[in-house]
Amino acid sequence: MSLAPAHVAGAGMVRFGKYPADVTLEAMALGAAREALSDAGADLAAVEGLYVGHVFGGPVAGQRIAAQLGLDGRPVSNHENYCASGATAIREAWVALAAGLHDVALVIGVEKMTDRVAGGVRPDPGDLDAAVGYVMAAGHAMSARRYMAEHGATREQIAAVAVKNHAHSVHNPWAQYQKPVTLEQVLGARPIAEPLGLLDCSPISDGAAAVLLCTPAGLRRLGLGTGGPRVLGVGQISGSVQTGLGDLNAEDVSRRAGEEAWRLSGVGPADIDLVEMHDCFTIAEIVRMEGLGLVPRGRGAAWAAEGVTALGGRLPVNPSGGLLSRGHPVGATGAAQVCELTWQLRGTAGGRQVEGARTGLAYCKGGTVNGTDGGSVTTVVMTA
Amino acid sequence: MPSADTSPTPRGRPFREGLLALDPPRLLGSRCTDCGAAAFPARTFCPACRTGVVAPAELSTSGRVHSFTVVRQAPPGTEVPYTLAWVDLPADEVRLMAQVVGIAPEGVELDMPVDLELTGFGTAEDGTGLVGFCFRAVGQVAP
Ligand SMILES: [Zn+2]
Repeated sequence: MSLAPAHVAGAGMVRFGKYPADVTLEAMALGAAREALSDAGADLAAVEGLYVGHVFGGPVAGQRIAAQLGLDGRPVSNHENYCASGATAIREAWVALAAGLHDVALVIGVEKMTDRVAGGVRPDPGDLDAAVGYVMAAGHAMSARRYMAEHGATREQIAAVAVKNHAHSVHNPWAQYQKPVTLEQVLGARPIAEPLGLLDCSPISDGAAAVLLCTPAGLRRLGLGTGGPRVLGVGQISGSVQTGLGDLNAEDVSRRAGEEAWRLSGVGPADIDLVEMHDCFTIAEIVRMEGLGLVPRGRGAAWAAEGVTALGGRLPVNPSGGLLSRGHPVGATGAAQVCELTWQLRGTAGGRQVEGARTGLAYCKGGTVNGTDGGSVTTVVMTA
Repeated sequence: MPSADTSPTPRGRPFREGLLALDPPRLLGSRCTDCGAAAFPARTFCPACRTGVVAPAELSTSGRVHSFTVVRQAPPGTEVPYTLAWVDLPADEVRLMAQVVGIAPEGVELDMPVDLELTGFGTAEDGTGLVGFCFRAVGQVAP
Protein backbone atom coordinates (compact mmCIF):
# COMPACT_ATOMS: atom_id res chain seq x y z
CA MET A 1 0.00 0.00 0.00
CA SER A 2 1.31 3.42 -0.87
CA LEU A 3 -0.24 6.84 -0.47
CA ALA A 4 0.95 10.00 -2.19
CA PRO A 5 4.08 11.32 -0.46
CA ALA A 6 3.78 14.30 1.86
CA HIS A 7 6.88 16.44 2.13
CA VAL A 8 7.73 18.39 5.25
CA ALA A 9 8.41 21.75 3.64
CA GLY A 10 8.84 23.55 6.93
CA ALA A 11 9.33 22.71 10.58
CA GLY A 12 9.29 25.00 13.59
CA MET A 13 9.06 24.96 17.35
CA VAL A 14 9.03 27.24 20.30
CA ARG A 15 11.47 26.06 22.92
CA PHE A 16 9.71 23.67 25.28
CA GLY A 17 9.64 24.62 28.94
CA LYS A 18 7.59 26.18 31.70
CA TYR A 19 6.08 29.47 30.61
CA PRO A 20 4.26 32.07 32.70
CA ALA A 21 0.46 32.06 32.67
CA ASP A 22 0.30 35.10 30.37
CA VAL A 23 2.03 33.18 27.59
CA THR A 24 -1.11 31.69 26.08
CA LEU A 25 -1.63 28.45 24.21
CA GLU A 26 -2.50 30.54 21.15
CA ALA A 27 0.72 32.54 21.41
CA MET A 28 2.82 29.38 21.57
CA ALA A 29 1.02 27.89 18.59
CA LEU A 30 1.53 31.08 16.58
CA GLY A 31 5.24 31.07 17.38
CA ALA A 32 5.69 27.51 16.11
CA ALA A 33 3.47 28.07 13.05
CA ARG A 34 5.39 31.17 11.96
CA GLU A 35 8.69 29.32 12.36
CA ALA A 36 7.44 26.47 10.16
CA LEU A 37 6.08 28.82 7.50
CA SER A 38 9.24 30.89 7.50
CA ASP A 39 11.36 27.72 7.31
CA ALA A 40 9.43 26.77 4.16
CA GLY A 41 9.47 30.30 2.78
CA ALA A 42 5.70 30.06 2.50
CA ASP A 43 3.09 32.64 3.35
CA LEU A 44 -0.22 32.05 5.05
CA ALA A 45 -2.18 32.38 1.84
CA ALA A 46 -0.75 29.07 0.67
CA VAL A 47 -2.20 27.12 3.61
CA GLU A 48 -5.38 25.26 2.68
CA GLY A 49 -6.14 23.53 5.97
CA LEU A 50 -5.09 23.64 9.62
CA TYR A 51 -4.81 20.51 11.80
CA VAL A 52 -4.22 21.04 15.50
CA GLY A 53 -3.34 18.45 18.13
CA HIS A 54 -3.91 19.33 21.78
CA VAL A 55 -5.32 17.74 24.94
CA PHE A 56 -5.93 20.47 27.51
CA GLY A 57 -6.57 23.29 25.04
CA GLY A 58 -10.32 23.41 25.46
CA PRO A 59 -13.03 23.47 22.79
CA VAL A 60 -12.03 24.65 19.30
CA ALA A 61 -8.53 25.66 20.34
CA GLY A 62 -7.53 25.23 16.70
CA GLN A 63 -10.06 27.82 15.60
CA ARG A 64 -8.85 30.21 18.31
CA ILE A 65 -5.36 29.79 16.91
CA ALA A 66 -6.58 30.24 13.33
CA ALA A 67 -8.34 33.46 14.29
CA GLN A 68 -5.12 34.91 15.69
CA LEU A 69 -2.83 33.54 13.01
CA GLY A 70 -4.89 34.71 10.02
CA LEU A 71 -6.09 31.29 8.91
CA ASP A 72 -9.69 32.10 9.83
CA GLY A 73 -12.22 30.76 7.37
CA ARG A 74 -10.06 27.80 6.35
CA PRO A 75 -10.94 24.23 7.37
CA VAL A 76 -9.63 23.72 10.91
CA SER A 77 -9.81 20.48 12.89
CA ASN A 78 -8.86 19.58 16.45
CA HIS A 79 -7.33 16.22 17.34
CA GLU A 80 -7.16 14.68 20.80
CA ASN A 81 -5.44 11.33 21.29
CA TYR A 82 -3.63 12.30 24.49
CA CYS A 83 0.15 12.14 23.99
CA ALA A 84 -0.37 11.02 20.39
CA SER A 85 -2.49 14.09 19.55
CA GLY A 86 0.16 15.99 17.59
CA ALA A 87 1.00 12.94 15.49
CA THR A 88 -2.69 12.21 15.01
CA ALA A 89 -3.10 15.72 13.59
CA ILE A 90 -0.20 14.98 11.23
CA ARG A 91 -1.89 11.75 10.19
CA GLU A 92 -5.13 13.50 9.37
CA ALA A 93 -3.31 16.17 7.35
CA TRP A 94 -1.37 13.45 5.53
CA VAL A 95 -4.59 11.60 4.74
CA ALA A 96 -6.18 14.82 3.45
CA LEU A 97 -3.18 15.43 1.18
CA ALA A 98 -3.25 11.84 -0.06
CA ALA A 99 -6.97 12.14 -0.74
CA GLY A 100 -6.41 15.24 -2.84
CA LEU A 101 -8.26 17.61 -0.50
CA HIS A 102 -5.29 19.93 -0.11
CA ASP A 103 -1.77 20.40 -1.43
CA VAL A 104 -0.56 22.45 1.53
CA ALA A 105 -1.60 21.79 5.13
CA LEU A 106 -0.30 23.25 8.35
CA VAL A 107 -0.13 21.04 11.43
CA ILE A 108 0.36 22.41 14.92
CA GLY A 109 0.82 20.41 18.11
CA VAL A 110 0.43 22.61 21.17
CA GLU A 111 -0.05 22.33 24.91
CA LYS A 112 -0.12 24.82 27.76
CA MET A 113 0.21 22.37 30.57
CA THR A 114 2.00 23.87 33.54
CA ASP A 115 -0.96 25.98 34.63
CA ARG A 116 -3.48 23.16 34.06
CA VAL A 117 -1.89 19.94 35.32
CA ALA A 118 -0.15 19.28 38.65
CA GLY A 119 1.30 16.30 40.46
CA GLY A 120 1.15 13.87 37.56
CA VAL A 121 -1.03 12.94 34.65
CA ARG A 122 -4.03 10.65 35.06
CA PRO A 123 -6.55 9.11 32.66
CA ASP A 124 -10.07 10.47 32.33
CA PRO A 125 -11.67 10.51 35.81
CA GLY A 126 -14.35 8.14 34.55
CA ASP A 127 -11.75 5.45 33.88
CA LEU A 128 -11.82 2.62 36.45
CA ASP A 129 -8.04 2.55 36.88
CA ALA A 130 -8.03 6.28 37.57
CA ALA A 131 -10.67 5.69 40.23
CA VAL A 132 -8.45 3.24 42.12
CA GLY A 133 -5.42 5.52 42.03
CA TYR A 134 -3.74 5.09 38.68
CA VAL A 135 -1.37 7.80 37.55
CA MET A 136 0.84 7.37 34.48
CA ALA A 137 4.01 7.08 36.56
CA ALA A 138 2.49 4.19 38.53
CA GLY A 139 1.74 2.16 35.42
CA HIS A 140 5.29 2.55 34.16
CA ALA A 141 6.71 1.79 37.59
CA MET A 142 4.85 -1.53 37.65
CA SER A 143 6.09 -2.21 34.14
CA ALA A 144 9.67 -1.51 35.27
CA ARG A 145 9.45 -3.78 38.31
CA ARG A 146 8.16 -6.66 36.24
CA TYR A 147 10.73 -6.02 33.50
CA MET A 148 13.58 -6.25 36.01
CA ALA A 149 12.16 -9.43 37.54
CA GLU A 150 11.67 -11.19 34.22
CA HIS A 151 14.73 -10.09 32.26
CA GLY A 152 17.31 -9.66 34.99
CA ALA A 153 17.66 -6.01 34.05
CA THR A 154 19.06 -3.69 36.70
CA ARG A 155 17.74 -0.41 38.00
CA GLU A 156 20.97 1.14 36.71
CA GLN A 157 20.31 -0.09 33.17
CA ILE A 158 16.86 1.47 33.16
CA ALA A 159 18.27 4.72 34.54
CA ALA A 160 20.80 4.69 31.68
CA VAL A 161 17.98 5.80 29.36
CA ALA A 162 17.72 9.10 31.25
CA VAL A 163 21.49 9.56 31.28
CA LYS A 164 21.65 8.93 27.52
CA ASN A 165 18.74 11.19 26.57
CA HIS A 166 19.90 14.06 28.76
CA ALA A 167 23.38 13.74 27.22
CA HIS A 168 21.77 14.16 23.78
CA SER A 169 19.72 17.17 24.91
CA VAL A 170 22.87 19.24 25.42
CA HIS A 171 22.88 19.68 21.63
CA ASN A 172 19.19 20.56 21.28
CA PRO A 173 18.39 24.28 21.61
CA TRP A 174 14.64 23.50 21.64
CA ALA A 175 14.86 21.23 24.68
CA GLN A 176 13.45 22.22 28.06
CA TYR A 177 16.54 20.77 29.77
CA GLN A 178 19.93 21.00 28.10
CA LYS A 179 22.14 19.59 30.84
CA PRO A 180 23.65 16.14 31.26
CA VAL A 181 22.72 14.11 34.32
CA THR A 182 24.76 11.38 36.00
CA LEU A 183 23.64 7.86 36.80
CA GLU A 184 23.99 8.76 40.49
CA GLN A 185 21.63 11.70 40.03
CA VAL A 186 18.98 9.52 38.37
CA LEU A 187 19.26 6.81 41.04
CA GLY A 188 19.27 9.35 43.87
CA ALA A 189 16.38 11.48 42.65
CA ARG A 190 13.21 11.87 44.70
CA PRO A 191 11.01 8.74 44.32
CA ILE A 192 7.80 9.32 42.33
CA ALA A 193 6.44 5.79 41.96
CA GLU A 194 8.95 3.16 43.02
CA PRO A 195 11.23 2.09 41.47
CA LEU A 196 11.00 5.22 39.32
CA GLY A 197 12.28 8.57 40.52
CA LEU A 198 11.93 12.13 39.30
CA LEU A 199 14.58 11.81 36.57
CA ASP A 200 12.87 8.69 35.16
CA CYS A 201 9.84 10.88 34.36
CA SER A 202 9.32 13.42 31.60
CA PRO A 203 8.36 16.83 32.93
CA ILE A 204 5.06 18.68 32.71
CA SER A 205 5.79 21.25 30.02
CA ASP A 206 4.48 23.97 27.76
CA GLY A 207 5.30 24.12 24.09
CA ALA A 208 4.28 24.04 20.47
CA ALA A 209 5.66 22.53 17.29
CA ALA A 210 4.47 22.88 13.71
CA VAL A 211 5.10 21.36 10.31
CA LEU A 212 4.00 22.45 6.86
CA LEU A 213 3.05 19.39 4.82
CA CYS A 214 2.96 19.59 1.01
CA THR A 215 2.15 17.29 -1.88
CA PRO A 216 4.56 17.49 -4.83
CA ALA A 217 2.08 19.93 -6.41
CA GLY A 218 2.14 22.00 -3.23
CA LEU A 219 5.94 22.11 -3.31
CA ARG A 220 5.85 23.34 -6.91
CA ARG A 221 3.32 26.00 -6.01
CA LEU A 222 5.60 27.21 -3.22
CA GLY A 223 8.59 27.12 -5.56
CA LEU A 224 10.35 24.54 -3.40
CA GLY A 225 11.39 22.05 -6.10
CA THR A 226 10.89 18.39 -5.33
CA GLY A 227 13.27 17.62 -2.50
CA GLY A 228 13.17 17.47 1.24
CA PRO A 229 12.19 14.88 3.78
CA ARG A 230 9.01 12.97 3.08
CA VAL A 231 6.43 11.30 5.30
CA LEU A 232 6.13 7.74 4.00
CA GLY A 233 3.30 6.80 6.29
CA VAL A 234 1.63 7.54 9.60
CA GLY A 235 0.27 4.52 11.39
CA GLN A 236 -2.39 4.82 14.03
CA ILE A 237 -3.82 2.05 16.17
CA SER A 238 -5.46 1.71 19.56
CA GLY A 239 -4.96 -0.60 22.51
CA SER A 240 -7.01 -3.77 22.63
CA VAL A 241 -8.84 -5.28 25.60
CA GLN A 242 -6.51 -7.71 27.34
CA THR A 243 -7.44 -11.11 28.72
CA GLY A 244 -5.55 -13.66 30.76
CA LEU A 245 -2.41 -13.31 32.86
CA GLY A 246 0.17 -12.65 30.14
CA ASP A 247 3.35 -10.60 29.99
CA LEU A 248 2.74 -7.12 31.40
CA ASN A 249 5.41 -5.82 29.01
CA ALA A 250 4.26 -7.72 25.93
CA GLU A 251 3.53 -4.37 24.22
CA ASP A 252 1.31 -6.04 21.70
CA VAL A 253 0.03 -2.55 20.97
CA SER A 254 3.56 -1.54 19.92
CA ARG A 255 4.00 -4.68 17.85
CA ARG A 256 0.81 -3.84 15.96
CA ALA A 257 1.92 -0.21 15.65
CA GLY A 258 5.14 -1.42 14.03
CA GLU A 259 3.27 -3.63 11.60
CA GLU A 260 1.11 -0.68 10.62
CA ALA A 261 4.18 1.52 10.14
CA TRP A 262 5.91 -1.01 7.90
CA ARG A 263 2.74 -1.72 5.94
CA LEU A 264 2.03 1.94 5.23
CA SER A 265 5.58 3.09 4.59
CA GLY A 266 6.96 0.13 2.68
CA VAL A 267 10.11 0.09 4.80
CA GLY A 268 11.08 -2.39 7.49
CA PRO A 269 12.82 -2.35 10.87
CA ALA A 270 16.22 -2.89 9.24
CA ASP A 271 15.83 0.37 7.28
CA ILE A 272 15.44 2.57 10.38
CA ASP A 273 18.49 4.77 11.12
CA LEU A 274 17.09 6.62 14.12
CA VAL A 275 14.03 6.66 16.34
CA GLU A 276 12.27 9.45 18.17
CA MET A 277 10.66 7.33 20.86
CA HIS A 278 7.96 8.28 23.34
CA ASP A 279 10.14 8.08 26.45
CA CYS A 280 7.58 9.59 28.81
CA PHE A 281 9.34 7.36 31.37
CA THR A 282 12.71 5.61 31.08
CA ILE A 283 11.19 2.13 31.04
CA ALA A 284 8.73 3.16 28.33
CA GLU A 285 11.52 3.73 25.80
CA ILE A 286 12.81 0.22 26.52
CA VAL A 287 9.62 -1.79 26.27
CA ARG A 288 8.26 0.15 23.30
CA MET A 289 11.43 -0.34 21.26
CA GLU A 290 11.15 -4.05 22.04
CA GLY A 291 7.46 -4.11 21.16
CA LEU A 292 8.16 -2.47 17.80
CA GLY A 293 10.72 -5.18 17.08
CA LEU A 294 13.65 -2.74 16.89
CA VAL A 295 15.36 -4.21 19.96
CA PRO A 296 15.36 -7.91 20.96
CA ARG A 297 12.93 -8.77 23.75
CA GLY A 298 14.52 -8.24 27.16
CA ARG A 299 17.62 -6.48 25.80
CA GLY A 300 16.45 -2.86 25.74
CA ALA A 301 17.79 -1.88 29.13
CA ALA A 302 21.16 -3.48 28.44
CA TRP A 303 21.33 -1.80 25.04
CA ALA A 304 20.78 1.60 26.65
CA ALA A 305 23.51 0.95 29.21
CA GLU A 306 25.91 -0.33 26.52
CA GLY A 307 25.41 2.72 24.29
CA VAL A 308 23.79 0.87 21.39
CA THR A 309 20.92 3.39 21.38
CA ALA A 310 23.12 6.45 22.01
CA LEU A 311 24.32 8.92 19.39
CA GLY A 312 27.18 7.14 17.64
CA GLY A 313 25.68 3.76 18.52
CA ARG A 314 24.10 1.26 16.13
CA LEU A 315 20.53 2.57 16.51
CA PRO A 316 20.35 6.06 18.04
CA VAL A 317 17.13 6.61 19.99
CA ASN A 318 16.03 10.12 20.91
CA PRO A 319 18.92 12.20 19.56
CA SER A 320 16.71 15.21 20.44
CA GLY A 321 16.88 14.30 24.12
CA GLY A 322 13.44 12.72 23.98
CA LEU A 323 10.53 13.63 26.17
CA LEU A 324 12.73 13.22 29.26
CA SER A 325 14.82 16.25 28.23
CA ARG A 326 12.99 18.08 25.46
CA GLY A 327 9.91 18.15 27.68
CA HIS A 328 6.47 16.68 27.16
CA PRO A 329 3.72 19.17 26.40
CA VAL A 330 1.49 16.24 25.52
CA GLY A 331 -0.34 17.56 22.46
CA ALA A 332 2.85 19.04 21.01
CA THR A 333 5.12 16.02 21.37
CA GLY A 334 4.21 14.18 18.14
CA ALA A 335 4.75 17.32 16.08
CA ALA A 336 8.06 18.01 17.83
CA GLN A 337 9.25 14.48 16.98
CA VAL A 338 8.49 15.13 13.30
CA CYS A 339 10.38 18.43 13.46
CA GLU A 340 13.37 16.50 14.81
CA LEU A 341 13.12 13.81 12.11
CA THR A 342 12.97 16.59 9.50
CA TRP A 343 16.13 18.24 10.78
CA GLN A 344 17.91 14.90 11.11
CA LEU A 345 16.97 13.84 7.57
CA ARG A 346 18.06 17.23 6.19
CA GLY A 347 21.38 16.73 7.98
CA THR A 348 21.00 20.00 9.87
CA ALA A 349 20.71 18.70 13.45
CA GLY A 350 24.11 20.04 14.51
CA GLY A 351 25.78 18.37 17.47
CA ARG A 352 23.00 15.77 17.74
CA GLN A 353 23.09 14.77 14.06
CA VAL A 354 22.81 11.04 13.40
CA GLU A 355 25.44 10.51 10.72
CA GLY A 356 24.03 9.27 7.44
CA ALA A 357 20.42 9.32 8.63
CA ARG A 358 18.18 8.33 5.71
CA THR A 359 15.07 6.89 7.35
CA GLY A 360 13.57 7.63 10.76
CA LEU A 361 10.61 6.60 12.84
CA ALA A 362 8.72 8.59 15.45
CA TYR A 363 6.50 6.78 17.95
CA CYS A 364 3.89 8.26 20.29
CA LYS A 365 1.68 6.39 22.73
CA GLY A 366 -1.08 8.37 24.30
CA GLY A 367 -3.44 7.71 27.15
CA THR A 368 -4.64 4.61 28.93
CA VAL A 369 -8.01 2.92 28.95
CA ASN A 370 -8.91 0.43 31.69
CA GLY A 371 -8.48 -3.13 30.53
CA THR A 372 -6.53 -2.33 27.37
CA ASP A 373 -2.82 -2.19 26.63
CA GLY A 374 -2.90 1.50 25.78
CA GLY A 375 -4.85 4.37 24.34
CA SER A 376 -3.64 5.54 20.96
CA VAL A 377 -0.35 4.79 19.24
CA THR A 378 1.04 6.63 16.24
CA THR A 379 4.08 5.84 14.12
CA VAL A 380 5.47 8.32 11.62
CA VAL A 381 7.99 6.99 9.11
CA MET A 382 10.01 9.54 7.17
CA THR A 383 12.78 9.35 4.63
CA ALA A 384 15.28 11.91 3.38
CA MET B 1 -9.80 9.44 44.85
CA PRO B 2 -9.83 8.51 48.53
CA SER B 3 -7.05 6.21 49.65
CA ALA B 4 -8.13 2.74 50.71
CA ASP B 5 -8.86 2.69 54.43
CA THR B 6 -8.88 -0.28 56.75
CA SER B 7 -12.29 0.09 58.40
CA PRO B 8 -14.13 -3.24 58.90
CA THR B 9 -17.23 -3.19 56.69
CA PRO B 10 -17.91 0.11 54.98
CA ARG B 11 -21.57 1.06 54.60
CA GLY B 12 -23.24 2.46 51.54
CA ARG B 13 -23.47 1.50 47.91
CA PRO B 14 -20.84 0.50 45.35
CA PHE B 15 -19.12 3.54 43.85
CA ARG B 16 -20.07 2.24 40.43
CA GLU B 17 -23.15 0.26 39.57
CA GLY B 18 -22.57 -3.35 38.59
CA LEU B 19 -18.96 -3.38 39.76
CA LEU B 20 -19.23 -5.29 43.01
CA ALA B 21 -21.52 -7.08 45.40
CA LEU B 22 -21.38 -6.10 49.08
CA ASP B 23 -22.55 -9.22 50.92
CA PRO B 24 -20.55 -11.29 50.55
CA PRO B 25 -17.87 -9.04 49.01
CA ARG B 26 -17.36 -9.97 45.37
CA LEU B 27 -16.12 -8.35 42.20
CA LEU B 28 -18.70 -8.65 39.44
CA GLY B 29 -17.32 -9.48 36.03
CA SER B 30 -18.46 -11.43 33.03
CA ARG B 31 -17.64 -14.83 31.61
CA CYS B 32 -17.87 -16.16 28.08
CA THR B 33 -20.19 -19.16 27.91
CA ASP B 34 -18.28 -20.41 24.84
CA CYS B 35 -14.57 -20.12 25.66
CA GLY B 36 -14.78 -19.53 29.42
CA ALA B 37 -12.69 -16.35 29.46
CA ALA B 38 -13.58 -13.99 32.30
CA ALA B 39 -13.40 -10.21 32.25
CA PHE B 40 -13.44 -7.46 34.86
CA PRO B 41 -15.22 -5.11 34.78
CA ALA B 42 -18.06 -6.93 33.00
CA ARG B 43 -18.10 -6.53 29.24
CA THR B 44 -20.83 -7.05 26.70
CA PHE B 45 -18.52 -9.01 24.40
CA CYS B 46 -15.88 -11.67 24.94
CA PRO B 47 -12.48 -10.02 24.51
CA ALA B 48 -10.81 -13.44 24.17
CA CYS B 49 -12.77 -15.18 21.41
CA ARG B 50 -14.86 -12.20 20.19
CA THR B 51 -17.72 -14.49 19.23
CA GLY B 52 -19.00 -16.05 22.44
CA VAL B 53 -21.99 -15.05 24.51
CA VAL B 54 -21.13 -13.52 27.87
CA ALA B 55 -22.96 -13.82 31.17
CA PRO B 56 -22.50 -12.02 34.49
CA ALA B 57 -20.01 -13.73 36.82
CA GLU B 58 -18.79 -13.36 40.39
CA LEU B 59 -15.01 -13.49 40.55
CA SER B 60 -12.69 -15.22 42.98
CA THR B 61 -11.60 -13.19 46.01
CA SER B 62 -8.09 -14.69 46.14
CA GLY B 63 -5.39 -12.82 44.30
CA ARG B 64 -1.64 -12.42 44.06
CA VAL B 65 0.48 -9.39 43.33
CA HIS B 66 1.76 -9.47 39.77
CA SER B 67 3.52 -6.13 40.07
CA PHE B 68 3.28 -3.11 42.33
CA THR B 69 4.52 0.38 43.00
CA VAL B 70 4.42 2.81 45.87
CA VAL B 71 2.93 6.03 44.57
CA ARG B 72 4.73 8.97 46.19
CA GLN B 73 3.41 11.79 44.01
CA ALA B 74 -0.13 12.20 42.72
CA PRO B 75 -2.44 15.01 41.61
CA PRO B 76 -3.83 17.28 44.35
CA GLY B 77 -6.54 15.70 46.48
CA THR B 78 -4.90 12.28 46.55
CA GLU B 79 -3.15 11.24 49.74
CA VAL B 80 0.24 9.62 49.23
CA PRO B 81 1.93 7.23 49.65
CA TYR B 82 -0.20 4.27 48.66
CA THR B 83 0.58 0.88 47.19
CA LEU B 84 -0.92 0.24 43.78
CA ALA B 85 -0.72 -3.19 42.19
CA TRP B 86 -1.63 -5.34 39.27
CA VAL B 87 -3.46 -8.14 41.04
CA ASP B 88 -3.99 -11.50 39.35
CA LEU B 89 -6.98 -13.69 40.20
CA PRO B 90 -5.52 -17.04 39.14
CA ALA B 91 -8.81 -18.95 39.40
CA ASP B 92 -10.42 -16.65 36.86
CA GLU B 93 -7.30 -15.68 34.88
CA VAL B 94 -8.22 -12.04 35.39
CA ARG B 95 -5.73 -9.21 36.04
CA LEU B 96 -6.94 -5.95 37.54
CA MET B 97 -5.54 -2.85 39.14
CA ALA B 98 -6.16 -2.17 42.83
CA GLN B 99 -4.57 -0.78 45.96
CA VAL B 100 -2.98 -3.19 48.41
CA VAL B 101 -3.50 -2.55 52.12
CA GLY B 102 -2.49 -4.14 55.39
CA ILE B 103 1.23 -4.10 54.73
CA ALA B 104 4.00 -1.51 54.75
CA PRO B 105 5.22 -0.61 51.24
CA GLU B 106 8.63 -2.17 51.88
CA GLY B 107 6.95 -5.48 52.78
CA VAL B 108 5.18 -5.98 49.44
CA GLU B 109 6.63 -8.65 47.16
CA LEU B 110 5.89 -10.00 43.72
CA ASP B 111 3.50 -12.99 43.83
CA MET B 112 2.41 -12.14 47.37
CA PRO B 113 -1.10 -13.50 48.16
CA VAL B 114 -3.84 -10.94 48.73
CA ASP B 115 -7.59 -11.11 49.39
CA LEU B 116 -10.40 -8.90 48.16
CA GLU B 117 -11.63 -6.36 50.70
CA LEU B 118 -14.26 -3.66 50.50
CA THR B 119 -13.24 -0.15 51.41
CA GLY B 120 -14.77 3.26 51.92
CA PHE B 121 -14.62 5.20 48.71
CA GLY B 122 -15.83 8.67 49.60
CA THR B 123 -19.34 10.02 49.73
CA ALA B 124 -21.92 10.48 46.97
CA GLU B 125 -23.49 13.88 46.30
CA ASP B 126 -26.63 12.73 48.16
CA GLY B 127 -24.55 11.90 51.24
CA THR B 128 -24.59 8.12 50.81
CA GLY B 129 -21.34 6.37 51.59
CA LEU B 130 -19.61 4.82 48.58
CA VAL B 131 -17.92 1.45 48.70
CA GLY B 132 -14.93 0.43 46.62
CA PHE B 133 -12.46 -2.43 46.59
CA CYS B 134 -8.86 -3.10 47.45
CA PHE B 135 -6.79 -6.16 48.34
CA ARG B 136 -5.36 -7.04 51.74
CA ALA B 137 -2.05 -8.79 52.19
CA VAL B 138 -2.76 -12.19 53.75
CA GLY B 139 0.52 -14.03 53.88
CA GLN B 140 4.01 -14.63 52.63
CA VAL B 141 5.09 -15.64 49.17
CA ALA B 142 5.32 -19.43 49.04
CA PRO B 143 9.00 -20.47 49.16
ZN1 LIG C 1 -15.07 -16.19 24.48
